[in-house]
Amino acid sequence: MTQELPPPPSPEEPAPSLAEELEAARAEPESPPSIETVNESLRDGINRCPKCGSTDVRLRGSSGMLMCLFCRNEWQETRVEERFGLGEGIRDLDGTVIASGAEDIAADAQDTVTFKCEGCGAEVVVDTAESLNARCHWCRHTLNVNSQIPNGAVPDAVLPFKLTKDEGVARIREFAGRRRLFAHPRFKEEFVPENVMGVYLPYLVVDAHADATYRGEGEVQTRRWTEKRGDDSVTYYAADVYRVDREVSFVVDDLTLEGSSERATMGPGNTNNIVNTILPFDTKNAVQWNASYLTGFSSEKRDLNVADLHPVLEDQLLSIGRSEVQASLRQFDRGVRWEAEGVDVGGSRWVAMYLPVWLYSYFQEDKQLLHYIAVNARTGETMGSVPVSHPRLFLAALTVGTFLEGIAGAILVASA
Amino acid sequence: MMLELMVAASEDDSPWVLLLGGPIGGAATYWLIHRYYRNTDKSHAYERDTIIEADPVRGSEERTGHIAKTRKSGISGDNSGHHRRRVQRLR
Ligand SMILES: [Zn+2]
Ligand SMILES: [Zn+2]
Repeated sequence: MTQELPPPPSPEEPAPSLAEELEAARAEPESPPSIETVNESLRDGINRCPKCGSTDVRLRGSSGMLMCLFCRNEWQETRVEERFGLGEGIRDLDGTVIASGAEDIAADAQDTVTFKCEGCGAEVVVDTAESLNARCHWCRHTLNVNSQIPNGAVPDAVLPFKLTKDEGVARIREFAGRRRLFAHPRFKEEFVPENVMGVYLPYLVVDAHADATYRGEGEVQTRRWTEKRGDDSVTYYAADVYRVDREVSFVVDDLTLEGSSERATMGPGNTNNIVNTILPFDTKNAVQWNASYLTGFSSEKRDLNVADLHPVLEDQLLSIGRSEVQASLRQFDRGVRWEAEGVDVGGSRWVAMYLPVWLYSYFQEDKQLLHYIAVNARTGETMGSVPVSHPRLFLAALTVGTFLEGIAGAILVASA
Repeated sequence: MMLELMVAASEDDSPWVLLLGGPIGGAATYWLIHRYYRNTDKSHAYERDTIIEADPVRGSEERTGHIAKTRKSGISGDNSGHHRRRVQRLR
């Protein structure tokens, strides 16, 4: 196995004088600089076509670009990856770096934003819990929320829908179609995949570097033999026992965590694991915020802060480290039992993003359970939960069981 | 549970354990179909589907003992393949 020794400790440096320490403190910024991602080219309320100035702008699904409905001009916002250097310097991250769209949600932040319409001067209220665009009732200008209000509604970046609604419907229809036989009859009756919703779900996308440490016990087989015991032969083993230590340093790029507490809670009482399963997204293609990408779609507001998700990050980093060290355990042919583990996150960078999902939901009344069929609107990966008809399933199990029991009975009769 | 039953069945030579085939097969059918429809076991495989750059693994092992004779074919509580099963936290 690889045995890399840590570099020898550097000789103790002489303690700095008070003057030197003060000098150093002055040179260092108070807190790590956060990444400012507000789209400066947009002002609240107006997202104008750069060519003709119209405000009738929306996402053209097939191209993933913004399109002016008036002059058909297409353009897009810049990718945040290059714009804010998100792909680089992960190893050099120190502490927790938070982009401006991922900053803590203020407890007293309002969901509603009031604009003065540029077209006519009327006041227009946008409820950001519902939507980030609104049309002025008087002059029909489309108004957009582009500033990062501290209520979690405006992220740093957005990954535009790529699969069209028709493509989303087709995937959902196919997924459910392969699960018809044992599906709950009411589900089949009420299945209308055209009711699918295009939703931007909130995520925090994390870059980090970490050191993970594991301690446990491993066993190596030294002998294997059989002994006769009456008519039976019994296999025995002898083994050497080892104390095993492993350590690995690694960098993760774009680890994606749910930013809504409702979505992040997974368990038997919900089907949120379905939405989790369609990860990952091509987050490298996310672009700078522009509310026009959301026109015609719905969105869910982020309600989790970086601090809330730190334990989730550590948990996932521990799992990643475990998977990384697994290949170094081959000599322990009787297996390894990890008993203790630790992770030290040297640095992390957090960026808030909206990621696109086609979501079909079905509420099963007898179980009070909300089922989802979800389509990753970038990769097309589809996962779902289809309510089952338990009587039918039971009948199938009974049939198979009876059949096998019949065979068993026949063998017993034949051998008797 | 089912796996243990089958192991028990294979270790015992009595032909009557064949009669367990019916209940086990029935339960397996139920479980497999249920999983295919409800997918309760699925989640994002971030250990594999994330861009990860790892340095070479460091570590050591030290022989601490010997098991002279056991019927167990593997270590008890092997969790080396269950990356998400958390154990005691260091520090
Ligand atoms: Zn235009
Ligand atoms: Zn107006």
